[in-house]
Order: sequence, then C-alpha cells, then structure tokens
Amino acid sequence: MNFRTTYSAFLAVLGLCLISSCFMHREATYKKTKELMDTFVTVTVVSDSAEKGNEAIEKAFATIGKFGALVNFFSDESEVSNINRNAGVMPVKVSPETLEVIDKAVFVAAKSGGAFDPTIGPVMKLWDFHNNIKASADDIKKGLRLVDYRNIIIDREKSTVFLRHKGMMLDPGGIAKGYAADLAVKTLKEQGIRAGVVAAAGDIRTFGARPDGKPWNIGIKNPRPVKGSTNDILAVIGLGDKAISTSGDYERFFIEDGQRYHHILDPKTGYPAGGCRSVTIITGRGVFTDAFSTAVFVLGPEKGLKLAQDEEMEALIVDVNGKIFMTPGLKEKLKFEKND
Amino acid sequence: MKKTIRDTTVADRLLFVLLIAAAVAGLFISREAMSQSNDVIVEINGSPAYTFPLTTDRTFTVQGALWETVIEIKGRKVRIKEAHCPNRICVREGWVSKGAIICLPNRVVVVVGGTGRSGKDIDAVTG
Repeated sequence: MNFRTTYSAFLAVLGLCLISSCFMHREATYKKTKELMDTFVTVTVVSDSAEKGNEAIEKAFATIGKFGALVNFFSDESEVSNINRNAGVMPVKVSPETLEVIDKAVFVAAKSGGAFDPTIGPVMKLWDFHNNIKASADDIKKGLRLVDYRNIIIDREKSTVFLRHKGMMLDPGGIAKGYAADLAVKTLKEQGIRAGVVAAAGDIRTFGARPDGKPWNIGIKNPRPVKGSTNDILAVIGLGDKAISTSGDYERFFIEDGQRYHHILDPKTGYPAGGCRSVTIITGRGVFTDAFSTAVFVLGPEKGLKLAQDEEMEALIVDVNGKIFMTPGLKEKLKFEKND
Repeated sequence: MKKTIRDTTVADRLLFVLLIAAAVAGLFISREAMSQSNDVIVEINGSPAYTFPLTTDRTFTVQGALWETVIEIKGRKVRIKEAHCPNRICVREGWVSKGAIICLPNRVVVVVGGTGRSGKDIDAVTG
C-alpha cells in the first residue's frame, strides 16, 4: 500500500513536470526579414508562441519603418531633407528621434575630432561607386568647405536643427541604422520579448540569451575572404546585451589602376580613408557602434584603437595590409575561423 | 471489460493519463519544430545572409559575389528567377519546396526547409 502511494505520487509529479515543461517553457526563435531603410532588416526573437513572436517582430519593423522615413536622405518628405532644404535659411523643428540621432552624430563627430562627420553629404555625392566615377580634385575642394559638424546647430528645448551654411547637407546614413536597431530592441522589450537580435544589415543589437541559454553568435565578415573558400567569416563572438557594427572597404567600391576607391571618405580630405580594410566596434548601443566604426576606420588602426579604448568600447581592426589589431578585452571572446 | 477497468490501480490510471498527455505534448512539440523549417535561408559566400518565411510570397534581389540574383518565393516554393551566370543552372532548377538551389559562380545558396548548407551556428553577420 505504502509502495503504491509512493509510486502514484511519483508518477503524478513526473506527469506534471512533463506537461509543464512541454507547455510552459516551449521557447523557440522566430525570425523575419524585411526591406527597410534601403537594406534588409532581420529581427529574431525568443518567444513561447509563434503568434506573440511574430506580432512583436512586426511591431519592431513598424518602428524601424517609421524612423527610416524621418531620416531618409533621399526622400523629399523626410525631416532630414527638410533640414537640408533649409540650410542657411532657418532652423527646422523635428521629432525627438531625429533630434537624438543628430545629437549623437554630433557627439561622435566631436569625440573623433571630425573623423566621423554627418555633414559629409556635399563630398559624398561627388563620388559614384556604382558607376565607378571618381570625384574631381576641384569639386572635392569646393565640397569640403561645406563639411563641418560644428555648423550643425541643435536646439534641444525647441527641438530644432539648423545647418549654418547654404548648401550644407546632413546625411545620417552612417548612424541611422544603428539607432534604428536600438529603437527596435526597445519596441521588442515593450512587447514582453526577453531575448532577440535586430540586424539592420551589418548594424546588430542583441539582448538576452538564445533558447539554449547561450549568447547570440555573431559572425564578423572577413574583408578579404580566401578565393575559392566557402567561408567568409573572420571570427565569431558570443554577445548578450550588446551592439556590434562593422565598416568595411568592400561594401561599395571600385578599383582603378590598382587603387581601391571605397565609400568611407575621410571628411578632412574628401578621399577614401586609407588605413583599414574593416573595423568592428562592440559596445552597448547601436547608435554608437555604427558611427564609431566609421570614425575608427577613418582614423586608422593606431589612433582608432586608442579612441575605442578611451570610449571603453571593444574594437577589431583589420588594417590595409591585413594585420589585425584589437582591444585587450576582445582577445578571449573572439573565436577566429579557419579560412581555407 | 468492466472488470479490466476495475482491476486497474491508481498508478495504472495515472500512467494512462500520463501517456495521453505525452502524446498530446508530442503533437505540439513536433508542430513547433516544423514551424522552424518554414524558412527560406539565403547564404552568400557560405554564411547565412537573409531569412524569409516560406509562407509569404515575394520577389527580391540579393547581391552575390559577382552579380545580383533575383529570388522568388511563391506558394510555399522558391526559385531563382534571374541570374547572370553563363549556364544559368540555378534558374533551370525551377521551383523547389525542400532542399537547396546553388549558384556556384555567384556563391549564392538558397536553402528551403533545412538548417542551411554551411550548418554554422551563427545568428547574424556584421560587415
């Protein structure tokens, strides 16, 4: 009798455990990709139901879409275009998101001594990396006169932005995707999602852990993958609550007379920055990884590494000769791939 | 029959209930596992670049190693619609609902209903 009671109790407990483990903690990852901000945005969430997961993903997409429309450099309807149209004319009232992203852009510009400059627009438009057209030295010289982040006047109280000189152009392209990833993560958390990944192209925000309890595995592209190899990943890093971005000379470029012309321009010279092949930055927010990866790229490996350390960020730099530089904290975290 | 039921102990009945519960749970588990393979994974240069649900019809363009490849998802099937390679083997493969379409020169692999050709445990790629 005693044995029977014990046996029954044991079975009952076992049954309850089985049922609860099946129905309560069935967490899985749900993933969707959408074309937003002129790129592909992939959102991954951990959720115990497909419905809840997918609903949260759609809300994150909506957040990115809404923000993307505000800061779209190429759309006449955007707040950024309105600022550019009114350059040298008058301050323009903008939404809090636009104000913050421009504020952060100016912050990174100042920290990097102008190595990152969101007013590079007038020089950037002289280059055509799609049709392999170099900018002329004369045009660059003229364009550079309009490039200076210190001529962006932000009034936080009135929520306005003003470009001091006519012809100036604010292009938040080097910071907006990272900030969009931050906004999307905020939306996901508001939807009760405890873990996920927002990847706006190469600007990635991670939070929480995967359903298997491990950190999210993020691959860092090899700027020069070995010819014939199927592996273009240089290294992999496990991330929890972090942001990671990479700037590379292989994204938009053309080669003329053996010289590589890529889209990361040095705001001081108006020509492609020469020191690096790729720069990866890791810190807490996407708005900073996005902009600082460009800044460190322009500064080159030595000065760039120092900036990263001063700002307490992790950095992985592949210099123009393929030599790897990194902040001390990264050495144990990175798993380098075999590239053969 | 009635005697058989009367002869069962409490433990027997519990075991019976447990077996039914396990069977029902199994149904849910397999359904969830199935939902994971409803993805179209596009790999470029050996690493997963994009993931799209197989359930939403769409046509999109990806930049491969050499040129652009146009991929179409329709009616839970995938095909490479346009490619610029000389043989266009990938285009000739037509619609696929399970397996992979590989465009070797352009280093584009489209995987349906699987975990990806490279099988690497990577959640996202920066760069």
